[in-house]
Amino acid sequence: MVSNPLALIAEVTHRCPLHCVYCSNPMQLAGTASELSTAEWTSVFQQCGKLGMLHAHFTGGEPLARTDLTELIAAARAAGLYTNLITSGIGLNEQRLQALVDAGLDHIQISFQDSREEAANWIAGAKAHAHKIELSRAIRKHKIAFTVNLVVHRQNLDHLEEMIAFIEQLNPERVEIAHTQYYGWALANRSALLPTHAQLEKAVAIVADAEKRLAGRIRIDSVVPDYYAKYPKACMGGWGQKLMLINPAGRVLPCHAAEVLPGLSFENVREKSLEWIWRESSSFQRFRGEDWMPEPCRSCERRTEDFGGCRCQAFLLAGNDMVTDPACSLAPAHSIVESAVREANADAEVARPATGSSFVQLQKLSADLWSYRTNPE
Amino acid sequence: MAPPSDASQPRLAAGCRWGGTEEDRVILFPEGAIKLQGTGRQVLERCDGTRTFGEIIGELQKQFGQADPAKIRADITAFLEQLQKKRIVDY
Repeated sequence: MVSNPLALIAEVTHRCPLHCVYCSNPMQLAGTASELSTAEWTSVFQQCGKLGMLHAHFTGGEPLARTDLTELIAAARAAGLYTNLITSGIGLNEQRLQALVDAGLDHIQISFQDSREEAANWIAGAKAHAHKIELSRAIRKHKIAFTVNLVVHRQNLDHLEEMIAFIEQLNPERVEIAHTQYYGWALANRSALLPTHAQLEKAVAIVADAEKRLAGRIRIDSVVPDYYAKYPKACMGGWGQKLMLINPAGRVLPCHAAEVLPGLSFENVREKSLEWIWRESSSFQRFRGEDWMPEPCRSCERRTEDFGGCRCQAFLLAGNDMVTDPACSLAPAHSIVESAVREANADAEVARPATGSSFVQLQKLSADLWSYRTNPE
Repeated sequence: MAPPSDASQPRLAAGCRWGGTEEDRVILFPEGAIKLQGTGRQVLERCDGTRTFGEIIGELQKQFGQADPAKIRADITAFLEQLQKKRIVDY
């Protein structure tokens, strides 16, 4: 018997004013017309509360693109959930922030693309950086938890130290240093994003140093990127073990990328209860537990720690969701990851904008380097 | 960070709060939740931003009269320091 899920990831919309090149949203975005209504989300949160779930993470796209976000936060909080808003901050002013806090917002998480405005806007494909700084100051006037999320990759890792110093001034309780995960748009842009070994080694030392220096003031959460790790990540804490994700159209997924998997159909909260989907649906049972596992996972003592790694990555890289995650050094398909890493290190020259060039020029330059995330219809 | 001083007033950090049910009380914070039972719960329920650290220690030393007062102080100090590093408690 599976235990209850712990947290809901609520992708309330796929609309977004930013176009980040590392976005992990699916390339096939959910259209605006298909989005769940306020009442439908409210019912979802009530079901989550009854299931004993603790956290609701509001994400997207940009959750603020929903005009009813304050109502949604209030509904989640009324259902007993801890509410977390993962946002770019675009669409938020002091007045709307106050309304969200009044509605019961517990935690806000803002991502920064870089410490340097030009580079940050280049990566986001939008002029967002200055507004985020302004908003960070407004957030500190409220008694809610504040996390800054730094997505790091080949284009910004060389000045990680500067980025951490920049974030210190924003005074959050937490910093998440998140190496880019290669799904969706990030996978399409991988060659421009995958760091070199030297970049990574330096970054690990910088983070260790910052952790020591900031202990008691800012908590740093950081994970080694799985392309450079010996073992795969314990994706979502195991398939259908802890988390449920609901996409803007109401489809319930075990993870962000699951819709890429062939031969799986996902239930919709418009048709089935969350509890039924969690306990009974074939999609949530598909890779739950160990029965599905191939070798070398099946006899590996780490199978209870990393669960064979990520099913979506296995499919995206090896073309088969039934094999060990190629990020694992023991995986038969590991050479796929090795060759991507080799390529990233063969050409240590990191393509990047010339200093002092304008935003318009940066966008021109980047057109050859990567593709920006688009918006749903 | 230094351990809490006797005059400090320990409290839950911004965005951390009590949740769960009366029998199953948890502290909710951004990355998760911790279930609190027994003495851990007794300590944190006193971290209300009003009581001083010295008062909290005094109350618990009184309540657990048989235990070594120095050990009670050391245990509570270590407990709060650990939660402060996780940014769940401020003092």
